[in-house]
Amino acid sequence: MTTESIAIGQPILACEGLKKSFLGVAAVTGATFDVPKGLITALIGPNGAGKTTVVNILSGMMKSDAGTVHIGTTDVTNWADYKIAALGLMRTFQLSRELGGLSVLENLLVAPRVQAGESLFNVFFRPGRTKREEAANIGRALEILKTYGLYDLRDNRAAALSGGQKKLLEIARGVMANPAILLLDEPMAGVNPALIDQIGEYVVDLKNRGMTILMIEHNLNIVEKICDYVIVLAEGRTLATGRLSELRANEDVVRAYLGEIINAGPHS
Amino acid sequence: MSYYIYTLVFFLFVYFILAMGLNIQFGQTGILNFAYIGFVAIGAYVTGATSLPTSDTGIGTGQHYILGLNLSFPFNLLMGGVVSSLLAVVVAGIVLRRLRTDYQAMVLISLSLVLYDICNNFVPLFNGPDGLYNIPEPMVGIFHLTSNQFVGFFAAVTGVISFILWLFMNRLMNSPLGRTFRAIRDDSGVASALGKNVLKYQVLSMVIGAFFAGIGGGLIIQFGGSFNTSAWLPGETFVVFAVIIVGGVGNNLGLLVGSLLVETLLVHLPAFLPDIPGHTGLIQYIDGALIGILLMVMLWFRPQGMVAERVPTTERLLKRFARSKRAVANAAVDGDAPNAQVTL
Repeated sequence: MTTESIAIGQPILACEGLKKSFLGVAAVTGATFDVPKGLITALIGPNGAGKTTVVNILSGMMKSDAGTVHIGTTDVTNWADYKIAALGLMRTFQLSRELGGLSVLENLLVAPRVQAGESLFNVFFRPGRTKREEAANIGRALEILKTYGLYDLRDNRAAALSGGQKKLLEIARGVMANPAILLLDEPMAGVNPALIDQIGEYVVDLKNRGMTILMIEHNLNIVEKICDYVIVLAEGRTLATGRLSELRANEDVVRAYLGEIINAGPHS
Repeated sequence: MSYYIYTLVFFLFVYFILAMGLNIQFGQTGILNFAYIGFVAIGAYVTGATSLPTSDTGIGTGQHYILGLNLSFPFNLLMGGVVSSLLAVVVAGIVLRRLRTDYQAMVLISLSLVLYDICNNFVPLFNGPDGLYNIPEPMVGIFHLTSNQFVGFFAAVTGVISFILWLFMNRLMNSPLGRTFRAIRDDSGVASALGKNVLKYQVLSMVIGAFFAGIGGGLIIQFGGSFNTSAWLPGETFVVFAVIIVGGVGNNLGLLVGSLLVETLLVHLPAFLPDIPGHTGLIQYIDGALIGILLMVMLWFRPQGMVAERVPTTERLLKRFARSKRAVANAAVDGDAPNAQVTL
């Protein structure tokens, strides 16, 4: 079965009863939710709610103490991250993790998961195949860099980019990998307001092209604007799910999270 | 005089090979292989032992060693490279699996000491502290060479081998595989999140580097005719690291420069210089101090090395991989619609 056969809006990624503690401190105490295919889902909650830990578990970077994770019908609980990536789930990081010694273009070129040129045999005995694939990848990477406004920086070392540019590069790298599901860990954090709207447009564009997005986000304006579905985590467990407009009416949610956001202003 | 020059040229090429091997592991993949000299030694011992007849007959009299296959050049040399690579599979499979880089380095330096102690104390393996000697000089019979002619001849052979290995390494480093190695060096977590099986690539990098180490070791034992534990004290690994740091991790030309500066000029040349009056023998031991000073100067003033790593420009990548610019333009048009080509 492929994730392609799942209908839009049906669960493509699901977790149930996820638990994780660090040195006896419970970070996730029962996260259960579905991520619908082809939509943008926001994962919101106060600081320390366990959002990043959940994303780490979903992407295989961390093992859970209990609970299950499914991609489509495949149980991927506690699989290694590279195996989960092989099923079409990619993630970005809260603090940008660019490959600093590589050029901006190379950061994208490294992203496609299966490359003929990554096999020692192909490098020496099938150079034609490696060349064809690499040429196609370079073309695609340059197009993506143009879209994300990084084209002029393509030959710079990624370490030399500004914070905002690194955020864009992370998303561009995720796009280059061409995943079915993209997990974005606070893509708008630490970037200027103009860039926030731009990143929002890019994310919507990815959705329109069939990608499923799960993003951790604190900026409720942007959540309201672009996200179809919202999951609220508080104290390590799922508090509520639904549209943001519905959640605003939910007293638990307002008490746990929205209240403090509304009081603190729109951009906090 | 020519004997000295050929010896210096030989060590220039051998250390170029050794530096390329360590560079793929450390400079490209980020593995701090402090056991590198152990892989050089295994290559030397295996090349030596496989070129001798069995230890209870013939010219091996009085020596104890395993194998004794009496292989001729270059098969003995290839055996050295292959056995060193096989050792790397075992070592990398164990050491790299669960440990972080800094702990890997500690385990590898311990491994180097363990290997040293085994070879030094377990005589039936490679003749203990006496090591292997009377290793036949390769191809002397075919070309009717005198011992003096052999030195120049073998320096040239080593040059040719280093050139072939350089071609191999150049293609590897400029390939998508080389790029994946560098991605793992920069952030193995990101590489893993992109779907790269990091352990698999690290093991591959260790195997390739160990092959170069084994070949280098094999050339050393065949050039000198003998090899024992005094030749590979674990500290020798740092001479190869110095070659890489001085030359620059990024490209192979830098490694040749580093090899010339560190190995030829600092390690081997002083042995051929006249004594300092009143300090007999001092000059032979001056290399350690000079290498230390050179390393500090480099790390202060030019940490990128003599020849800095350059990232390939788009233009260079296009030249390297595209058959025509049009092919790239076409590829750009069809390629960027995301779709889930995943099978569950």
